[in-house]
Amino acid sequence: MSKKQSNATKQANAQRAAERAAAIRREQEAKERRRRTLWVSLAVLAVIAVVVAIAVGVQSGRDTTGEAATPPDGAVDTYALPMGPADAPVKVSVYEDFMCPFCGEFEAATRKSLEEYAGQGEVQVQYHPISILDDASNGTDYSTRAMNAAGVVLDNAGPGVAKKFHDLLFENQPEEGSDGLSDQQLIDLAVRAGADESAVSRPIQDLEFEQWVENATDAASKAGVNGTPTVMVDGKIVEATSTIDQLVSDTLGTIEATLKKE
Amino acid sequence: MVTTQTRPAGHTLWSWAGAAARLIVGGVWLVAGVLKVPDPAGNVRAVRAYQLLPESVVPTVGYALPILEVLVGACLLIGLLTRVNAVLSGLLLLAFIVGISAAWARGLQIDCGCFGGGGGPAANASDKYPWEIGRDLGLLLLSALLVWRPRTPWALDNRVLP
Repeated sequence: MSKKQSNATKQANAQRAAERAAAIRREQEAKERRRRTLWVSLAVLAVIAVVVAIAVGVQSGRDTTGEAATPPDGAVDTYALPMGPADAPVKVSVYEDFMCPFCGEFEAATRKSLEEYAGQGEVQVQYHPISILDDASNGTDYSTRAMNAAGVVLDNAGPGVAKKFHDLLFENQPEEGSDGLSDQQLIDLAVRAGADESAVSRPIQDLEFEQWVENATDAASKAGVNGTPTVMVDGKIVEATSTIDQLVSDTLGTIEATLKKE
Repeated sequence: MVTTQTRPAGHTLWSWAGAAARLIVGGVWLVAGVLKVPDPAGNVRAVRAYQLLPESVVPTVGYALPILEVLVGACLLIGLLTRVNAVLSGLLLLAFIVGISAAWARGLQIDCGCFGGGGGPAANASDKYPWEIGRDLGLLLLSALLVWRPRTPWALDNRVLP
């Protein structure tokens, strides 16, 4: 009945009070930590979001795809070098990159047959160069330079010479990952194909048709071309197969079948 | 005696594994992103090649992905906001796994464009799909480890989020 608490009780009370205080402190610390985590997270996420938004704007500005470009005289379908008569019953589009080794194989395997079809007036071949392997030439952008040169030759010397130049580019195809042919080598091949050196030198060096190259590549991508070589017969893609031999025989087979239907 | 609930001072095996995961996943993202930044038009084509997104958003995704990869990679490398960035990393990897699987299932022959390029040789592209998916699954697993145990040594988190 004594009002005086025993020493033991006092001690126990003091300990409880200390524990309560510690618990409150812990809780405050935890709260503080959560608050800090939240703010740091929001700040970092906001920075990421802003940087991504700015970068999208910058990249979109750097990407000149789709800006107006004058196609070379003589181009068909805006972006292609034609071989064979425009009124041929079957149109064959060949999408290729001058740096692409598989395209070189495809060219070597199909050239004779396609030339025969074109010569007989049965097929118009539309060679669509595109530039997707610029990063495979040690920074010299060979794909773009070669396609620009093809455009220059077409513009200056017409489809016949351009086709010959196109063939020469594949016959002298540089190894993927090398510097590619130099501008001077491109000019020499253009002259060998029959172009006038004084007419083609400057525009080959100055990339006169660079924007046309870019737009061609984008148009091909929108048309469903996801790699090279891609072949279309009358606008329909000949499905890519695991080997070039297969693609060659599928291509020639599809042309035969389409001709029979005509 | 007051016991505080701070994390154990000693680093466990898991936390060192987490640090390694951070460096691997972060390094891969950083390299993948940096290689792609120089060619915005190519990135747009690579995204388009998957034929999964509507054309109206293809360019934006193409422009945004590389820089997002760079940022996520850099944050993971320095260990800033590890858990959040590991979640982002996992989501990106899931998207890529879905993309490659969808391309494979539909018989598309595309270069994945994972480290730039995109739209490479048409032949034999599908031979690479299993290896690409396997690689992304491995990175996804490492990202998951970091979501589960975001605290690792040598991380900025240990300073800004004590």
